[in-house]
Amino acid sequence: MAGITTHVLDADRGRPAPGVRIDFSVMEDGAWRHVKSVVTNADGRTDAPILPGTEARIGQYQLEFHIDAYLKAKPGVTEADIFVDNPVVRFSVSDVKQHYHVPMLCTPGNCTTYRGS
Amino acid sequence: MDRQALTRRSLVGVGLGGAAMAAAPGVLAQANPPPADPARPGTLTTAPVSQAGLGPRLTLHAIDNFHGTPGAGMVCDLSIREGDTYRPIKTVTTAANGRTPEPLLSEDALRVGHYELLLHFEEYFARTGASLPSPNFLGLVPVRFVIRDASQRYHLPVLFTPWGYSYYRGS
Repeated sequence: MAGITTHVLDADRGRPAPGVRIDFSVMEDGAWRHVKSVVTNADGRTDAPILPGTEARIGQYQLEFHIDAYLKAKPGVTEADIFVDNPVVRFSVSDVKQHYHVPMLCTPGNCTTYRGS
Repeated sequence: MDRQALTRRSLVGVGLGGAAMAAAPGVLAQANPPPADPARPGTLTTAPVSQAGLGPRLTLHAIDNFHGTPGAGMVCDLSIREGDTYRPIKTVTTAANGRTPEPLLSEDALRVGHYELLLHFEEYFARTGASLPSPNFLGLVPVRFVIRDASQRYHLPVLFTPWGYSYYRGS
C-alpha cells in the first residue's frame, strides 16, 4: 500500500489516543494548502488513509496534531503540564510507490514522530 | 540494524537509481562515522551539563541519534507565534556539544507564548555525508512548544535521526 497514514498514541498511558483532530496540508506554490481535517478513532488511527495511494504525489506534506484538547480532557492533566500542545510534522514523499506511515507519540511534556511501517 | 530498516534503505536505493545503488546495503545500513572536525558531530569530549539553580532561560540540546553524537552545526530558527503567524526572533547554530553558546532566551527575553524552533535537518545530514533520498523525509523540522511561566527554566532536548525525532521538556 502506498499513500500516507498516521497513528496517535498516548505514550503516557500506553494507549491509542482517540478523538484527536489532525489537519492535513500539502505544499503548493510555496504555501501550505489545507486539504482536510480528520479525527482519530478508538484505535488512534483514522478510518480512511490520510492520503490514499492513488492520490500520492511527490511533494511536501504537513500533519498538525491537536493534542492539546485531548490532553486537557484527560484526568490528572492540568494546562500547566502541557509543554507540547499541537505538534506539527512536515515531511517529504520522494517515492509514490512507497507507503508513508507517520505516527505521533505524545505525552504532556514530550512528542515523538518517525517514519513507521 | 533490523531487517526492516535494511529493506527500506534498499528500496530507497532503487528509487534513487545509480548513485545510491553503488553503495552496498551493508554500508547503507550504518551511518558512516562522522568526520573528526570539531565543528561537526563526533566530539564526545564533554560531560553532561547541569543547569539546576540557574535563572529563567530557554536552552537547547540537539542530539544526533543517527551517529550517536551531539548534533553540532544544526541551524535553528526561533520564532514566537503572534496571531496566525510566527515572528522570527533569531537564528542560531549549535556548537560542537550540540548546545548553543548562549541560551536561546534568558531573563527578560523569556516570555510566555507559543514558540517554534525550525531545525535544518536536511542541511545537517547533507554535511555528514549520510546517504539519503532527495528530498529527505525530514527537511525543515518545526519543533513547537509552549512556555507558560516565564519565571521557570526550560530545557529543550531534541533527539533526531533522518527518519524521526523526539523532543521534550528536559531539565
